[in-house]
Amino acid sequence: MQRGNTLEQLPASADAQHRVVDSIRKALASIILGKNEQISLALSCLLARGHLLIEDLPGLGKTMLAHALARTLGLSFRRIQFTSDMLPADIIGVSVFRQNSGEFEFQPGPIFSELILADEVNRATPKAQSALLEAMEEYQVSVDGETRPLPEPFFVVATQNPGDQIGTFPLPESQLDRFLMRLEIGYPDEASERELITGDDRRLLLDDLEPVTGPQMLLELQKSVRAQHVSEPLIDYVQALVRSTRESADIEVGLSPRGAQALVAAARAYAFVENHSGVYPDDIQAVFPTVAGHRLKPAGSTRFRSPTELCQHVLDSVAIP
Amino acid sequence: MKAQPRGTDGSLLLSLPWTLGALLVSLAPHIPYLAIWISVAIVGCAAWRYAIEKGRRMLPSRWVRAALALICFLGVFGTYSSISGVGPGSALLAIMAAMKLLETRKRRDQFVLLFISIFLVMSSLLREQYLWSLPYLIFSTLIIITAWLRMSARGSETARQSFATGGRLLLYAAPLAIAMWIFFPRLASPFWAVPVDSGRATSGLSDTMSPGDISSLSMSDEVAFRVRFEGAVPEPRDRYWRGLVMTSFNGRTWSGSEPRIGAPASQQVAVSGEPVAYEVTLEPTRQQWVFAMDMPMSWSLERTFMGSQQQLFRVRPIDQRVAYSVISYPNYRIQTELPVVFRNWYTNVPANSNTRSAKLAREMRVAAGSDAAYIEAVLAKFHEEEYFYTLQPPPLGNNPVDRFLFDTRRGFCEHYASAFAFMMRSAGIPARIVLGYQGGEINPLGGHLIVRQSDAHAWTEVWLERYGWYRVDPTSAVAPERIEYGARDAVLNGFGESWGYSASSELIHRLTLTWDAMNAKWNDWILGYGPEKQNKFLQWLGMDDPDWQKMLLTLVTSVIALILAISGLLMLRNRAPSRDLATVMYQRFVKKTGLEQSTGETAQEFARRAAIESTLPAAHVDAVTAAYLDARYGAAGDAALANLKSAVAAI
Repeated sequence: MQRGNTLEQLPASADAQHRVVDSIRKALASIILGKNEQISLALSCLLARGHLLIEDLPGLGKTMLAHALARTLGLSFRRIQFTSDMLPADIIGVSVFRQNSGEFEFQPGPIFSELILADEVNRATPKAQSALLEAMEEYQVSVDGETRPLPEPFFVVATQNPGDQIGTFPLPESQLDRFLMRLEIGYPDEASERELITGDDRRLLLDDLEPVTGPQMLLELQKSVRAQHVSEPLIDYVQALVRSTRESADIEVGLSPRGAQALVAAARAYAFVENHSGVYPDDIQAVFPTVAGHRLKPAGSTRFRSPTELCQHVLDSVAIP
Repeated sequence: MKAQPRGTDGSLLLSLPWTLGALLVSLAPHIPYLAIWISVAIVGCAAWRYAIEKGRRMLPSRWVRAALALICFLGVFGTYSSISGVGPGSALLAIMAAMKLLETRKRRDQFVLLFISIFLVMSSLLREQYLWSLPYLIFSTLIIITAWLRMSARGSETARQSFATGGRLLLYAAPLAIAMWIFFPRLASPFWAVPVDSGRATSGLSDTMSPGDISSLSMSDEVAFRVRFEGAVPEPRDRYWRGLVMTSFNGRTWSGSEPRIGAPASQQVAVSGEPVAYEVTLEPTRQQWVFAMDMPMSWSLERTFMGSQQQLFRVRPIDQRVAYSVISYPNYRIQTELPVVFRNWYTNVPANSNTRSAKLAREMRVAAGSDAAYIEAVLAKFHEEEYFYTLQPPPLGNNPVDRFLFDTRRGFCEHYASAFAFMMRSAGIPARIVLGYQGGEINPLGGHLIVRQSDAHAWTEVWLERYGWYRVDPTSAVAPERIEYGARDAVLNGFGESWGYSASSELIHRLTLTWDAMNAKWNDWILGYGPEKQNKFLQWLGMDDPDWQKMLLTLVTSVIALILAISGLLMLRNRAPSRDLATVMYQRFVKKTGLEQSTGETAQEFARRAAIESTLPAAHVDAVTAAYLDARYGAAGDAALANLKSAVAAI
């Protein structure tokens, strides 16, 4: 495999990198059964330095996925359960006055971790939400006029319950845009479910899971992802897709240029995970529903019930150059 | 019939101004020829219609419209006393288009209006086809097409964009128009004929000549004809353009030049010496006379004959610009034998008029002793005595020759020719008057000769034993510069003032000449592209012996070829970026699977399907797919392409 001139900057060879990626996938698959596609997407999201929004019903393993990711990647992990009485300080931390030193001392909040699971993010008030979302965007927080950088790498995996309407504050579209992907996990297939029921407790298995890699390796993988080759015809394809979302009668607001950038970034990571020699149309198609789904505003008159269906329709109607 | 709704809702506000504009633009060339009330009515209707749309008011009722239409129809009929012909026809078309405006509610009506606009533009070409007609034609067609596009334009499309689209459409159409123009068979006598308005003023020479009735001669700069000589241009004094010949005199008016094919007129002519070949482009005169330099022996104009006084005429009046080539012989003899009957005819003068002159003529003839000496004596009299050349002579009254010779002694060519011919006839020498043009100006830019209305001239021919008809120009005895330089140059050289004529400035003259040169080229190449030129041009293009079948065939083929080429070009431009070699190879593979790739189906998805549905081995399918993806989307390039080639070849 050829990786252009980024090759010599890497301590590990391309092959070694792909071996690492494969072991991560394998480790994740041993915890989350029968969800290989979702695992690849979630992993791609992190490799593309993107934040992940998991939207699904409770009990489908949202937390488990986030936790397993942190574990296998060897990242420090914190879970923040969002509630309606939550304040920004509960996320970012507070300055506490120390009597004996006579000074204020900053008590870092849970956000100072490499991987944050923001559980049920739509339960918190917009004020608390925006504290998180700003941190996601800036990779730093400001407390008492002091700017504190967040650890590197820094990921947010947020979860959201779709059916829950009462007492929630759904994220506005502009903030949904901060998440590279919105993933749905869905029910497991029969065989996987059977194993889940009869097998060991997943939590115990998770505790036994050995980290496959560390933060340093992760940064190198991210670098390789950014070097993934993107050909001219592929860009044509992305542009055709974006144009189609803007011209479609089923879609009120199509993809923005930032959406197109996100699509290419995610597809690069996916192609890297899949060990492709460049970004293939398949990679675009694989990430398209999760990247575009929450960025499109379907028209009121559309016959498609979910954004995923809408995205599939766009994919089926645009020719691949 | 149910009454149609008449309300307007302002929905046409966007496109209506363009439609009105297109209509007015196509009307503009007609305006100088239309009665004023028609132009006013049309502009009024347009303004009225726009006001209705703007105020979202009601259109006039059916009865009002019917009444208006009837009034306009009667008005046109009353103005022209006819409804056929170019003038009344275009007037009717124009006024009815304006009436149509008053019932224009929908887009369909606007379409009709624009069709009428195109008709109006084309009908103006039936009148005149000037050099500036072409740019104007292009401009007005562009406006009409833009109006058309405005009707179907989306809200976001600006007028500028529509205009640009219109221009592009015209550009695409241009090669078709040129091909049609070149190959459409030109016929010597077309199947169709444009009805020429009778009663239109004629320009050029009048059929009769009454010196002294007109007290001033206009120096009109209007071009009578242009001449392109094949060899050297003859000297001004040799350039006598014969028009019509007058043979009878009633004491006041010379006339009697009805074209008649008598004894084969050209057989009375004996020529010698070097011929002069040239091509004349004659402006329409609505007369029959065809001008040629003395003495024409062959000419190319259809249905044109030589009259009994060696004048050329066409059976049908010259109602459109014509071009013809002529071969003339400057050395000639006409009718060395003149029968007594003719001799009497050509010496006939009314007995009781101009008696003083007649008496003087007889005395001078006796004193001179011979005919030739007598001619010399009369010319010498004009030259030596106090006779003046002027363009503004005094009126002469009932015995014009007497009054001119003895009293006023000033006049232009007609006066001298008339007096001279009278003197000859009174002395028994056969004489006649020739009207035509003399001289002309060389346009240094085009190299051709311009003969203007101001070059109109009258001279005489006298018949002498053994010589036949012999040209004598008495004007040359009085104003030799008029003959030596030509009218225009003589004026420029300062003779104009003594003639009572002032010339335009040198600069304006230069501009006129430039414009004239462009016009001459235009006439030569565009308007003069008749059967002969077409034949010559097509032969030059390599078509042997062009006839109308061949031309039509070429026309149809070239039009089809052009349409294909243009649409191909457009398709090529609008196509997605050209597919590269990898795609070509891959498509070959897709064809071999016998399956079809659906829209949005990726190569890997197709491969999964092909592994199951096609007969090809799965290994091959995978190999090709992997190689294709690598070649087209991977970073590898040529090496991957070679892989793909061998993978496809392996199947």
